[in-house]
Amino acid sequence: MRNDQKKSLWSFNFSTMALVLIPVSIGINYVGKLFAQTLRLPLWLDSIGTILAGILAGPWVGAISGGINNVIYGLTISPVSFAYGITSVAIGITAGVMARMGFVKNMKRAVIMGVVIAVVSTIVSTPINIIFWGGQTGNIWGDALFGILRSANWPVWLASGLDELAVDLPDKIATTIIAYIIYKGLPKRITVLFEES
Amino acid sequence: MRSLSLYVKRNSLIHKIDPLTKIIYVFVSVISPFIMPTLMFAFSLTLINLLLLLLAKVIKRVIPIISFVFIIILTIFVIQGMFYGANQTKLFTIFNLSFYVEGILYAAKISVRAINVLLAFSLLILTTPPAEMIESLVRRGMPAKLGYIMHSVLQIIPMMSSNASIIMDAQRARGMETEGSLWVRIKAFIPLIGPLVMSSLVNTHERSIALEVRGFSAATKKTFLHQEEVPGGMKQLRVFFFLFLTAVLAWRLVL
Repeated sequence: MRNDQKKSLWSFNFSTMALVLIPVSIGINYVGKLFAQTLRLPLWLDSIGTILAGILAGPWVGAISGGINNVIYGLTISPVSFAYGITSVAIGITAGVMARMGFVKNMKRAVIMGVVIAVVSTIVSTPINIIFWGGQTGNIWGDALFGILRSANWPVWLASGLDELAVDLPDKIATTIIAYIIYKGLPKRITVLFEES
Repeated sequence: MRSLSLYVKRNSLIHKIDPLTKIIYVFVSVISPFIMPTLMFAFSLTLINLLLLLLAKVIKRVIPIISFVFIIILTIFVIQGMFYGANQTKLFTIFNLSFYVEGILYAAKISVRAINVLLAFSLLILTTPPAEMIESLVRRGMPAKLGYIMHSVLQIIPMMSSNASIIMDAQRARGMETEGSLWVRIKAFIPLIGPLVMSSLVNTHERSIALEVRGFSAATKKTFLHQEEVPGGMKQLRVFFFLFLTAVLAWRLVL
């Protein structure tokens, strides 16, 4: 491992540790979704790994985890997920940057981080929703809101954005809290392996 | 080892085409209806994709991939039919709800385009093993490390989901409840995912050592285990796809 080099926040020269973290974080995304389905939770919880990768190894590793996550999903489970690859990349970057800014110090800050991630995810997803689905998200409650707002003549981008936010806000806050709890529970022996500098 | 894939082994013309040509085809077929947004054009491309899927003998496998989309399409027709911005011409009314021609046409355009995207990707996914696709991209200059990551994702997901069911059984045996009120089910989440994350992260350390021992970070040029077979005429086919895309762009700019 090339740990002798000085690494900054945006360092692009990954250690092998950071590289093997990426497949694991994508696996965590997958299993998170699996458990959420098995427990019949009303959330997706499918980006725990991406956020955890961002927290552990910085924004680039988070971004790559998010991007490859959607490419692999697209190739093996559902082709639509290709389109939302950019959203996952944005989630990974946001988690990485905010973790370095000290938002994983306590639970209160982690909740703020979840809100920011939800907003970023909404901003990135909304144009995709509009181009691809005419503004809907496929979630019944969000789409009901979209229908009501459109019938009241709200602009498409605003109705679609609120549709996405209604779905994303609870999901991303819960996802970030779970990633935070897992991160806090990890022994220092493991977290130190991924840390830069 | 079991690997994650939707690939269906068949003996067909489409299966023989190399991954890169198919990837270029999918790109062109998916992007074109967004450049030239007319219903007829999207519909024609969808028909071509259906014919190719038929030719590849995988048409039945498409159904589970695209079935989920029909619920969304139904709601798109309802919402856009009633509330699309340019709605003017009334088509019909049920229970005081009016549906308009413009909204229905817009919904049809979105739906056909979405189905086209799904069919085009299905054609690629169902007829190409993911490993070959990744290798073909690495040959064209994608970093080998990225190729490694993608390969290992395909193997790690089945591994982690079987570990997931082991952990689930173990926690249940210790008396953890996974049924009941929402709060009970929420509380079960961390005890399930925690041990899985922990063991997986511990494994990453061992895997990175194993990789380093095998010269993973060595700066030498990497070679390939398999030889790539590209049938004749594929270069011309790729050029044709790009010409088609250019024509669509030109068509859009002229109109």
